[in-house]
Amino acid sequence: MSVSTISPEARQAPSPAAGQATFAGTGILLRFMLRRDRMRTTTWILGIALAGFYFAHAVSVVAETEEDLVSLASMYADPVGRMMVGPGFGMDAPTYERFYASGYSLFIYILIALFSVFTVIRHTRAEEQTDRAELVRANVVGRHATLTATLILTLGANMLAAGLILLAGVSADYDAAGSALVAASGLAVGLFFAGAAAVTAQLSESSRGASALAGGLLAVAYLVRMGGDAAEVGGSGLSWASPLGWSQQTAPFVHDRWWPLLLLIGSGALFIAAGYWLSTKRDVGASLLPSRLGRAEAKPSLGTPVGLAFRTLKGGLRGWGIALLLTGLMFGSYAQTILDAADSLPAEVSEIFAGEDMMLGYLAYMAVFMAVFIAAAGVSGISQLRGEESRGRAEYGMSAPVGRIRWLGSHLLVLVVGLVLMLCLVGLGMGVGAAATLEQDGSQYFGQLFLAGALQAPAVLAVIGIVTALFGWLPRAATAVGWVIIGFGGVLTSFGGLLELPEAVTELNLFGHLADYPVQDIDWVPVLWLSGIGVAGILLGLLGWSRREVNRV
Amino acid sequence: MNENAPVIYAENLIKEFGPVRALDNLNLNIASGEVHGFLGPNGAGKSTTMRVLLGLLRPDSGTVQMFGRDPWRDAVTLHERLAYVPGDVELWPNLTGGEVIDMFLRLRGSYNKARRDELIERFDLDPRKKTRTYSKGNRQKVALISALAADVDLLLLDEPTAGLDPLMEAVFQEVIHQAKSEGRSVLLSSHILAQVEALSDRISIIRAGHIVESGTLSELRHMTRTTIEVETERSAQPLAGCSFVHDFHTEAERSVFEVDGDHVGEAMNLLTDLGIRSIVAHPPTLEQLLMRHYGEDLSQRGVSNGTAKKVS
Repeated sequence: MSVSTISPEARQAPSPAAGQATFAGTGILLRFMLRRDRMRTTTWILGIALAGFYFAHAVSVVAETEEDLVSLASMYADPVGRMMVGPGFGMDAPTYERFYASGYSLFIYILIALFSVFTVIRHTRAEEQTDRAELVRANVVGRHATLTATLILTLGANMLAAGLILLAGVSADYDAAGSALVAASGLAVGLFFAGAAAVTAQLSESSRGASALAGGLLAVAYLVRMGGDAAEVGGSGLSWASPLGWSQQTAPFVHDRWWPLLLLIGSGALFIAAGYWLSTKRDVGASLLPSRLGRAEAKPSLGTPVGLAFRTLKGGLRGWGIALLLTGLMFGSYAQTILDAADSLPAEVSEIFAGEDMMLGYLAYMAVFMAVFIAAAGVSGISQLRGEESRGRAEYGMSAPVGRIRWLGSHLLVLVVGLVLMLCLVGLGMGVGAAATLEQDGSQYFGQLFLAGALQAPAVLAVIGIVTALFGWLPRAATAVGWVIIGFGGVLTSFGGLLELPEAVTELNLFGHLADYPVQDIDWVPVLWLSGIGVAGILLGLLGWSRREVNRV
Repeated sequence: MNENAPVIYAENLIKEFGPVRALDNLNLNIASGEVHGFLGPNGAGKSTTMRVLLGLLRPDSGTVQMFGRDPWRDAVTLHERLAYVPGDVELWPNLTGGEVIDMFLRLRGSYNKARRDELIERFDLDPRKKTRTYSKGNRQKVALISALAADVDLLLLDEPTAGLDPLMEAVFQEVIHQAKSEGRSVLLSSHILAQVEALSDRISIIRAGHIVESGTLSELRHMTRTTIEVETERSAQPLAGCSFVHDFHTEAERSVFEVDGDHVGEAMNLLTDLGIRSIVAHPPTLEQLLMRHYGEDLSQRGVSNGTAKKVS
């Protein structure tokens, strides 16, 4: 029998050493990954731990008295609150630890899930996509070594994070068993989504696609438990259809059930086994799902600078837009809850919310808060333009007969239109959310809330103007200054009332000048001068860009 | 626009990036219809020159004109007449190759779709794939196709074939020949010597931001040495003493040496007297041309290499 006609049986029959050989090099790869990831993974672990410590200790700061706690707990006990954060176990008799587990643990689990997905994809599919995996696999490295080392890294990091979460609970004087259950739930969620990513890494040819599939599973898990938990206190049958639901059905500090974690661990292990099995069914670099082909020819709209700018910025704007629309809906749907709780909210909270009418004050405040995020989307858009410049795409694009001003102007046009749309979407989301939940006069508020969102445009425009001017004249500083403006605005908007800062400092917050519509009447003076800053900044930026060198090294 | 003006005219260009002098009194002239090879190692200033010609950088001093116009001031007008292939092609990751090609062609105005399709076919590119999945070679093909399919007078090609396989390299040579026969001018920067040798009418060699040699290939050859491999009846050792003979090696009756271009006749006379059994003469290769400018001064080359990352 010649070599080329080896029968399928002979090919598949493993030699005695084959079992070990498929894992050859796992240890070395693991050390290599630890070296490559030392900053990134450490940051993630510390970030997750920080969130844990913050949530565990913030509860007692926000709600100083028993009464405060009861009134806050009512937010998480009602259907809208349950929809956002979980089944609301024990909210009829709230304690700090129950409030921590009910209100905040879900966000810790989501962070761990995201970390697990990103880490697994980054070390498997992303490596294959960039052909680095080929370089590694050409050495004495077994077929399963990369996936094994990746999973050890991910689960090891998750264990460290879980240990710190446990410490967070214990340090806040919470019950040790319940704190351990919160930590273990996080670990089990991490295992589940690491397994899911191990499967999606085999399915998609691009790391983006693989992350999107696993991230999509997380989003579906969240949406399914939203519906399930909103239906009944303690969750309904639908909650049990979601892996995130399983993690919350442990009911830490209330029932302290450990067995739902078996569902997570069992299905996670199944996913991992499936990932290993699927990886033997394909070539290195290949995918099980065919990669989607795009258009062979461009649509006519792409043949203009605006068309190019739209395609460049579309992805980012769409992501921000969807997230902000959902957030707006969420804030809006709290309207009735706020109305009910208005009288019993703690003094700290009412200090942040302006105006007499608690509910409208809350939504006016949220409109400002969302404007900070929309401005952040704008800064991120301009930093994307800096990326276009430094990666050489700007100069390549402008090697066609497209002038400087047309190039930047088109991108800014798309960006600003996108941001204005976002402002409207946020207003729309809040308006729809409020109109849907308010028991009376809901539709009357819709128009006001829509306008409240749209009226933040001058503040956003001012930020864009300042950052664009810097892009034209001091490109290195543009993005950094932009994020400082956003960070400063975010802190002052969130805590400004509590910080008791001198007026000279608070005046610097671009987001603090517009009137709190609909609580206050619209004040046209700040509208005008903020818009003026925006327009002048954009013109100045265009002038600088037309005069400076492109991508000067 | 002055049609008689040279396609590219640069005189005494100086461009400094901080302490690094990327262009040092650079002179460059390209006539209409000429394929001009622009040879030099990485970091010699080839890309900086291209970016000055595109009006992306402004020279600190000196004169630069394309079609008689200032590339900084009249960038848009000039870009209607030229197409550029960057050295390191970065494309928009969420567009397909076909979309990028069409976008560039439409930005330049009307275009011949048959020509576009033919080039896609010849370069064997799948235009339906997103550019984020393309290899470097495929990204380069996209840039080449959108440049070659455009109806322009000048092609600025910055190391256009660095990622192409030999088969595609051959296609590239064909299409450049075709472009030349259509009367287009080409500035072709490269450190692949064989490519420049095969395509160029004239060649400029750049070192550390300065053109050290410029001319047709045969003009450049006069300035350098012919390699001679010869078998003689009597020992050729006496030639080793001549001032125009270099690198003399001999092994029994076989000798190998280099002769200065303008002394080949004298060397032949001497060899005839020794009784030639067989003789092979090689024209100078571009490697030798380059080695003459870089090899003899390795320390200076080291300096320019050290700055390579900053200026290229």
